[in-house]
Amino acid sequence: MADNERKGNGFDNDNSPRRIFLKKSSALAAWALTPTVAMTVVDNGLHEKVALAVEQMPLWLTINGKAQQLSIEPRVTLLDLLREQLHLTGTKKGCDHGQCGACTVHVDGQRVNSCLTLAMTTEGCTVTTIEGLADGGPTGTLHPMQEAFIKQDGFQCGYCTPGQIMSAVACIREGHANTPEEVREYMSGNICRCGAYANIVDAIMDVKKGGAKV
Amino acid sequence: MNPFQFTRVTTPKAAISAVTKEKGTYFLAGGTNLIDLMKREVVIPERLVDINKLPLATIEKTVTGLRIGATAKNSAVADNELVKKYFPLLSQALNAGASAQLRNMATVGGNMMQRTRCAYFYDNSMPCNKRSPVQTGGAAGSTERFRADKGQANGPTGCGAIGGFNRMHAIFGASEKCIAVHPSDMCIALVALDATVNVSGPKGDRKIPFGEFHRLPGDKPQQDNTLQPGELIMSVDLPTNRFSDNSHYLKVRDRASYAFALVSVGVALDMKGNTIRDVRLAMGGVAHKPWRLTKAEDFLRGKPATEANFKQAAALAMQGAKGYGENDFKLTLAPNSIIDALKTATKTA
Amino acid sequence: MTKDTKNPPIDRVDGRLKVTGGANYFADFEIPNTAYCVIVGSKIAKGTIASLDTKKAQNAPGVLGVFTHQNMPPIPGWDAPVGGEADGPAPKPKTEETYRILSSSKILFDGQPIAIVVADTYERATYAASLVKATYSKQTARTDLQKHVAEGIAPKGADGGNYLRGKPDAYQAAPVTLEANYTIPIEVHNPMELHGILAHWTGPNTLMIYAKTQGVNATQQAMAEAFKIAPKNIHVHAEFMGGGFGMGLRTWPQETAVVAIARKIGRPLKLVVNRSQMFTLVGHRPYTVQTINMGADQDGKLIGIAHAATAETASYEDFTEATVNMTKFMYACPNVSTRYRIVRLDRSVPIWMRGPGEATGAFALESAMDEMAHKLKLDPIEFRLRNYTETDPEHNRPYSSKNLKEAYQRGAEAIGWSKRKNEPGSTREGDWLIGYGMSTGTFNAFRWEASARVLLKADGSLTVQSAVTDIGPGTGTALTMIAHNVLNVPLNRIKVEYGDTSLPKAPTQGGSAIVSAVGSAVFDACTSIKQALIELATKNGGPLVGRQADELTLADGILSILTEPKKKVAVSDLMQANNLAVIDRTKESKGGPQLQNYSMYSFSVHFVQVRVNPLTGVVRVTKAVSVADSGRIVSPKTAASQMIGGVAGGIGMALTEEAVIDHRFGRFVNNNLADYHVAVHADVPAIETIMIDKPDPIINPMGAKGMGEIALIGFAGAVANAVFNATGQRIRDLPITPDKVMQKLT
Repeated sequence: MADNERKGNGFDNDNSPRRIFLKKSSALAAWALTPTVAMTVVDNGLHEKVALAVEQMPLWLTINGKAQQLSIEPRVTLLDLLREQLHLTGTKKGCDHGQCGACTVHVDGQRVNSCLTLAMTTEGCTVTTIEGLADGGPTGTLHPMQEAFIKQDGFQCGYCTPGQIMSAVACIREGHANTPEEVREYMSGNICRCGAYANIVDAIMDVKKGGAKV
Repeated sequence: MNPFQFTRVTTPKAAISAVTKEKGTYFLAGGTNLIDLMKREVVIPERLVDINKLPLATIEKTVTGLRIGATAKNSAVADNELVKKYFPLLSQALNAGASAQLRNMATVGGNMMQRTRCAYFYDNSMPCNKRSPVQTGGAAGSTERFRADKGQANGPTGCGAIGGFNRMHAIFGASEKCIAVHPSDMCIALVALDATVNVSGPKGDRKIPFGEFHRLPGDKPQQDNTLQPGELIMSVDLPTNRFSDNSHYLKVRDRASYAFALVSVGVALDMKGNTIRDVRLAMGGVAHKPWRLTKAEDFLRGKPATEANFKQAAALAMQGAKGYGENDFKLTLAPNSIIDALKTATKTA
Repeated sequence: MTKDTKNPPIDRVDGRLKVTGGANYFADFEIPNTAYCVIVGSKIAKGTIASLDTKKAQNAPGVLGVFTHQNMPPIPGWDAPVGGEADGPAPKPKTEETYRILSSSKILFDGQPIAIVVADTYERATYAASLVKATYSKQTARTDLQKHVAEGIAPKGADGGNYLRGKPDAYQAAPVTLEANYTIPIEVHNPMELHGILAHWTGPNTLMIYAKTQGVNATQQAMAEAFKIAPKNIHVHAEFMGGGFGMGLRTWPQETAVVAIARKIGRPLKLVVNRSQMFTLVGHRPYTVQTINMGADQDGKLIGIAHAATAETASYEDFTEATVNMTKFMYACPNVSTRYRIVRLDRSVPIWMRGPGEATGAFALESAMDEMAHKLKLDPIEFRLRNYTETDPEHNRPYSSKNLKEAYQRGAEAIGWSKRKNEPGSTREGDWLIGYGMSTGTFNAFRWEASARVLLKADGSLTVQSAVTDIGPGTGTALTMIAHNVLNVPLNRIKVEYGDTSLPKAPTQGGSAIVSAVGSAVFDACTSIKQALIELATKNGGPLVGRQADELTLADGILSILTEPKKKVAVSDLMQANNLAVIDRTKESKGGPQLQNYSMYSFSVHFVQVRVNPLTGVVRVTKAVSVADSGRIVSPKTAASQMIGGVAGGIGMALTEEAVIDHRFGRFVNNNLADYHVAVHADVPAIETIMIDKPDPIINPMGAKGMGEIALIGFAGAVANAVFNATGQRIRDLPITPDKVMQKLT
C-alpha cells in the first residue's frame, strides 16, 4: 500500500480518522462524535444509514494476499469481520474470549486470537486465515500441515481444525516444535474437545521432521 | 460491546494527551484482557487509544541491565536471547502464562495492567467491590477505570468471593473488601528480579520499584496499582544479577497448561557450591499483588541448600497467611510449592 | 456375509474440507439479509421477573425487535404457557413445572432466556442485549444436590429405579466388605462449536434450517410439531457439526423461539449463543452422588453389590440415564441391587453427555472394584477375571460377542502392567510417585432402524446417501468403507452425502449406534445392487448366463467368475446393455427378532500410568492404553481417533472438569473455557489404541459394534485407580485436582 494512500489515517491526531471520514458525508458533519449520538439519531427517526455512518471508521489491511479497504465499527473484532462481513468462515468462533484458539489467524505472521483482536488494530497489517494458507479449494495444493493433518487424522468434528492448523504452522515457524513435549505445551492454546491431540502432535512432528517449508 | 471511539497514536506524548482528555478513555495495547472485559460489560469505555504503534517494543541492554519496552509482546520477551540467558526466570514465567497466541498479543505493560480473574469481578450480576466500588467516579485515565458508565449500573457492590467460591483467592494481604489475586505470571518474575517500572504522565516521568507498582486491596480494591491518572508505562528495567544458573518458575494449576495458578513460585538463586549466596523468592496466586517473600529470602541467604532449610524458609514465608474456606488448601500448597521450587532451582530434587 | 478380513486404514473422506476451512457448520452459511439474535439470560435462578425494561434496547441502532414473555410470537404446537399471563387452555397441574421459553415471567433456572434481541448486525444485537434491564422478585434457589439427596424420587419407568438379583443385603455378610461414596460434579459438553441455529422461512409455511443438531430428522420433527406444518416443508441441514457429545440430541427451546421470531420479523435469523450460555441452555452431565456396597469372599469372588445413585434434574423435566446399569451385568455376582433416584432442582435440565450415565456409574463401580482388589491383596485384573462372566447375569442370555479377557491381556502388555507394584506408593522416579491403574468400560451395542440410498452409475461411480449427521466420529468414512467392502468400487469413486433431511431418514447420531444402524442400511442397499448386477449378468442372454451368484466376484467395476477370471463383464457394459444409467436402491434396515436372544454390548479396557507430585498434588497421565472390543472395526483410522478422543475426554473428566455453582446465587462461577478446564494438549500424552477387531456374529452384517461411548466409559476410574496405586490415597470425588491429592498426602 502506497504511503500517500495512508495519509489522513489519523495517526497522532485524535479525532481525525472519524472526522475525515465524516467529511465525506456532509449530512453528518453537524453531529458531535459521541457514541450516544447514534442512538439519538434513531430516536429522532432519522435514517438508519446515518447511524451506521456515524459509527464506522476506515480500515486498510491485506487479507490472504488481497488488499482490502473497509469501513467498520471500531468494536468489530477481526474474527467477526472475517466471518460476518467478509464471509471467510473457515476461522471459527469457539469462545469469543481468547480461551480456546478456534479463531487463530496470523497477523503479520504471528498467530493471534482474532476474537480478542479489534479489527481496527490490524490497520496496515497482513492477515492470513486458513483459506489463505495454501491454494486449497477442492483440487488445489494443500499446505504440508494440511496434508499431515489428513494423514494423521488430526481432527474429528473439524471445528477447531483451522485454528489448530494455523497455530501448528506458527508453532514450527517460531521454533517451538522440537519435541512432542514442546509441541504439546506450545499448542495448548488450541482446545480440541474431540480429543485429537495425540494425532495433531504426530502431524506437527511429521511436518517438522519432513523439513518442508512451512 | 458498547460503541466507543477509537484513536490511534504513534507517540507517547499523544497517547498521554489522548487518555487524559476525557473520562472513560483507556489505553488499548494487546487487548487480551481489556477486550475480554468489554465483551462482558465489566469495562464500558467511551474511547480507546490504540498504543500498539508506539515505538516502545524494544528490548535492549543498558548499563545496569536490560530495558524492556512496554509494548514488547510477551512472546518476544520470552524468546529474547538476552532474557533467556540472563533472566531465565522471566522467560519461564512468561511461557507459563496464557497461550502462545495470547503471548503474541499481550504486551509487557498490558500484562502488568491485567485485572483479576475473580469470577465475581467478571460477572456483573454478582457483588464485587473491585468492579463496582462503593464510590463511583474517578478522573479520566485514572486507574479507577471500572466505574459505572453514565449511571448504567455495573453490578452490585460487596465481595462475592468471601463466603463463596474462593478456591483461587488470596491468602496474603487481603481485605474485607476484596480477596482477589493478581493473575500475572510475568509479574512474579519481575518482582523477584527487582525490576523498576518507568512511567510517563502528564506531570512528567517517574520510576516505580516493581514491588510498589501493584497494591493491596485495602479500602480501594478498584485500584490495582499505583499509576496516577494519565500515566503510561514506558518500559521495565531489570538489574543485572547472578541468578541465571539457578532459576525456576513453578506453576501449580488445575491443568498442565493454559490455566491460572492455584499457586506459583518464582525462585532465583546465586549459589556457591551448595551455599545460597543470594536468593529471590516471590509467589503468585496468593495475593492482590505479586508477593515477594523477603523473610524467607533473608533466612536462606548464606545457608546451605537443604530441605530442612527450605522448610523453615517456607514456614517463614507463610507467616500471616489466612484462608477463606475453599482456598485453605493454599496454606499447605504454598509452602509445599516453595520447597518444591527451591529443590528444583538448587538442583537438589 | 461378514467380511472376515480386517479393514485398511483410510483417510477421512471429509478431510480436505475440514483442513481448508471449507466444511460449513450451521453458522457458516450465508443467507442474504440475515439478522442476528442475542439471548439475554436471567441473572437469578428462581423467582419472577418483576420488571423488564426493553425500551433502550428497542431504540438502539439496528434493532429489529426485542422479544420477551410479553410479546413472544406464539408457537402453535406447544401447550399453553404455565403460570404466565397467557390465555388459552388451562395450564398443566401445578405439581409439575413446565418450561416454555419466553412464555412467562417465572424463572426456573439461572440463565433462562428473558429476552431475545434481534438486530441487523451481530455487534448491534449484542450491545442492544446489554441494554435490556430486568429486576426480579427472587426466591431461594435449590441448586446444591448434596443438600437435597434425601429428596430423590424414583423416575417413571418399568423398574421404578430399582433392580434386584438375589438378596439386596448379601454383601453385608461377606468376609470382605467395602462401602464407598463417589461424586461426579456437573460436567458440560462444551463442544468447540457454539450452539445456535440459522432459520429461514422460505415461504409462509416452508422452512429452511441450518442447525447444530445430532439428528436432522429429529429437528425436522420437532419443528413440524412446534409450528404445525408438514415435516416435508421443513428442510434441515447439518452436514457438519462442530462436536456434540450429546448436547445436540434434542431440539432446544431457543431454537424453536428463533424460528418463531424469524417468521414474525420476516428475515432469516442467526443465533449463536455465547460460551457462558453453553453451560445453561444446552444441557450438562448431571451432578451425581453414588454409594457402592460390595462384599467378596477371601478368594476374591463377589458375593454382593449394592449400587445407589442420585442425580440432579430440573424442576420442569425429569432427566434420567443409565448410571447404575453396568453394575447389573458386568460381573458374575449372585446378589446385585441397584437404586437410581433423581432430585428436581432449580437448574436447567441435563442431557446425556458422552458415555452418558454409564461413564458416571463406571467411575464408581470400577473404583470400587479397585478398592476391593486392594483389600483382597489381589491384582485388579486378576480380581476382575475371578468374577468374569461369559453370559449376561442380568438377562440370563449370552453376549452376542465378548472378548474382554483378550482385551485385559493385550492392554496389560502394552502399558507394561508387570512393572506395577500391588503395594501402593512404592514406585518413585525422582520426587514423583508413579502409579498404574486400569478400568473396564461397557455400553449397549444397538441396532436401530435406519435407511440409506445407494446409487451406482454406469460410469462406475457410487453415491451413498443418508440423512445422518457426522458429528465427528467419521460416519462418512465408515459408510464409504462399508459400501466399498460390498461393491468393491474404488474408494475415490465413492461419494457420501449426509446430514440433510432431503436424504433417506436416519436416526440421531448418538449412543454409538450409527455404524450399526446406517451402516447396515448401506450394506443392504449395496448388497441389493450387487444382486441386481449378478441377475443382469446371469439371466438369459446375460454375459455370464447360468452362473450362480456365489461363483461371481465383483471388483473395480468388473464382475467375473471367481475360478475363471477371464470370464468377466464390466459393470458399465452390463448396465449399458440393459439401458441402465443408474442402479438406485433405498433400503430400510433393522435387526431381526433373533437379536432379542442376545445381550449386545461393546467393551473397553483402559490402562494408564500416572505421575503424582507428592508436594503439589499435581497428577499427570504419562501413558494411556485403551483397548476396544467393539466387533469388526469398519474404519480403523477414525476408530482409533474415537478412542484417543475418549482418553482426552477421560483425562478431563478424571482430573480437570467441574462446573462450579455458587449456591447462594444459584449461578455458575466458572462458565467459560478458561476456568472450566477441558483437557489441553499438554494434559494428553501419546496414546496407544488397541482394537480387538473380531466381528460380532449377531448384531449386523458388518459385525461392527459402536465405540464412541466406550472410549470414555471407565477411563476416569482408571486414573483414580492409578492415583491410588501411586500414592495409597483414594480420591472418590472428581475431578482429582492438585489440592485434593496434596491435602491427602501432606
